Amino acid sequence: MIPVATQALVMRSAALVARGLRDLSRESNWLVKKVFAGRAGQVAVSPAGQVCALSPLVRQGSESIALYDVELGVPLLALAVPGDSSVAAPGKPAAFAWSPTGQHLVAAWGGWLPELHAFDLHAKKFLGAFGDYANFPSHLAWSDEENYFAAASSGAGSASVRLWAVSRRGSGEMLFAAEPLSELTLEACRAWPEWRPEQRSDSREDGAADGSDADGADFADSAEPAGFRRSAFSPDEGSLACVVEIEGEWADDSLAILEIPSLRKQNVFHAQGHITDLAWTYDSRQIIFCSAGQASRLTADTMEPEPLPFGAELCACHPHLPICLCFSSWLKNSAKGRLFLVDLNRLKIFDEYAAEGVVDLRWSLDGSKAYAVTSDGLAYLYEPPLL
Amino acid sequence: MALKAADPRPAKPGAASIPKPPKPEDQELARKLDEQAATEGDLAERELRVANLRAELSAFERRYLHFLGSRYAELDECKAQLAEQFARQHPENERAQQAAREARARADETASAAGEQSTQEPRAFEATPEMKRLYRDVAKRIHPDLTSDRDDRAKRQRLMAEANQAYEQGDEAQLVKILNEYECSPESVKGEGAGAELVRVIRRLSQARGRLAEIEAELQQLLRSDLYQLHERVRDAEKDGRDVLREMSAKVDEQIAQARGRLESPDADSR
Repeated sequence: MIPVATQALVMRSAALVARGLRDLSRESNWLVKKVFAGRAGQVAVSPAGQVCALSPLVRQGSESIALYDVELGVPLLALAVPGDSSVAAPGKPAAFAWSPTGQHLVAAWGGWLPELHAFDLHAKKFLGAFGDYANFPSHLAWSDEENYFAAASSGAGSASVRLWAVSRRGSGEMLFAAEPLSELTLEACRAWPEWRPEQRSDSREDGAADGSDADGADFADSAEPAGFRRSAFSPDEGSLACVVEIEGEWADDSLAILEIPSLRKQNVFHAQGHITDLAWTYDSRQIIFCSAGQASRLTADTMEPEPLPFGAELCACHPHLPICLCFSSWLKNSAKGRLFLVDLNRLKIFDEYAAEGVVDLRWSLDGSKAYAVTSDGLAYLYEPPLL
Repeated sequence: MALKAADPRPAKPGAASIPKPPKPEDQELARKLDEQAATEGDLAERELRVANLRAELSAFERRYLHFLGSRYAELDECKAQLAEQFARQHPENERAQQAAREARARADETASAAGEQSTQEPRAFEATPEMKRLYRDVAKRIHPDLTSDRDDRAKRQRLMAEANQAYEQGDEAQLVKILNEYECSPESVKGEGAGAELVRVIRRLSQARGRLAEIEAELQQLLRSDLYQLHERVRDAEKDGRDVLREMSAKVDEQIAQARGRLESPDADSR
């Protein structure tokens, strides 16, 4: 038995000591940690600093889904679905979505049956499957208050955006009904007038109204939506912004603003290039989006776009401050990537940090820190003393 | 094997008697007493090591809290005030309200962990060779695991706790007093009878070995602690002539100044 005096010595100032140790370890507001070895096909970080990764099992030549903790750098557990194999041949698609508190995770994986799988990580329990699909989900998203969940899919045919209401039940109980609350099918989306040439030229990002885009190319033909990709709920849970993929390899993406919970169209915005990420500002008034390596913001009421003076491929808005965390894989005159923060009021960049291969960004629930993770198992922790 | 013939002659009166061979229990007792002496020495050494480490870490913790505790508390207080200010300015922002409540709770927690700051800088722990010798003697003589008597054990436990405290505080006179107090007590008189004594020694050995295992666990817990890691980092830096605690304090002071600046002119910077 360890004496009480020793236990007390180790415990009484533990939080302050850990804080000092951490402050001592870093030169800036960024801290880099190795979370897992190898290269993961799909990675998602939670607001609580847990990482869900589709990572290769080196010896067996197969893949499995494992959870890691950014701080501990060790696997916490492997995700398993009763009756399904927990390993599969490499290369199968995967999509993960952490709930805003980090308690729940919804996952889809080519190694499991074609359904969405819900887990309660606090109870370490598989809750059940829901939302069977024909097209693999291209993106999964939770709303900030955890009242809604959306699954988007592309690949034509039965591509859709589906919305579920999350039921408030006790820990360890299933949160989702089998059938969605509402659904926007590709067919319904294709019927919107926004895809007609005259409508597109009216609401184009570059403002061109002469039937040609910025490069002078003609876009007189109708655009045909081919599917849905990234989506993001507004923090007030009033709208869902969803990327609409347009048919054709070089076709630009559009951004549809949908009403919650009906998924009725509110607005459509035609962007330039492919939209790689989008995030709502904390006040639900603006959407920051990254397309063709450029960051822009769109005012939701007026659909007025504004290019921001920096490039970015990923973005995540602070939960209650006008600040956005961004990642860009290249800098001017350099092939190096960087993470950085932007004061959205002053459009001022601060706390830049060199980083490569970032695939996911996330703020903690209270906004005191942020995480960025790479496919190679690195995690960048942003922990400013003041925010 | 050749057998030696026994001497048939009767023993002469007045001749020196042949010493009796020691009884098996006496031989065993002698062996066990040797073993006990060795274990007592080992136990005393290890008790000294863990007491040293505990005292060093305790002193380091006081120094750390003296320099950083109150500063972190002040910084968290500023952060809470900033969050509350932002929440007041944006009453519709529920997340900002929540963040302000959490920042306030964190500030209270830090203030409570930091405790009261002493005006004088606490000294680092350093035991003199005489203190170490005295502590070893105390541990050998009055270690609670070296007795099989229940009342004696209780008394030793009390005295050992006092000895640990005296050692941490560098109180040499108190260590001498504790040792004398026990040496003069009736419990220090050993019982008689080889058999009974053998049982007592075996039990003491078993207790001492149990305590050795406990000391090892205690040492490991201390060595694995963040407090030890931080202590080592600071000590290594001191060897290079750096005063890390003061450097860290200066950094936190800067952050406090920045936070105060923002509290005074909230519109200067949204961050």
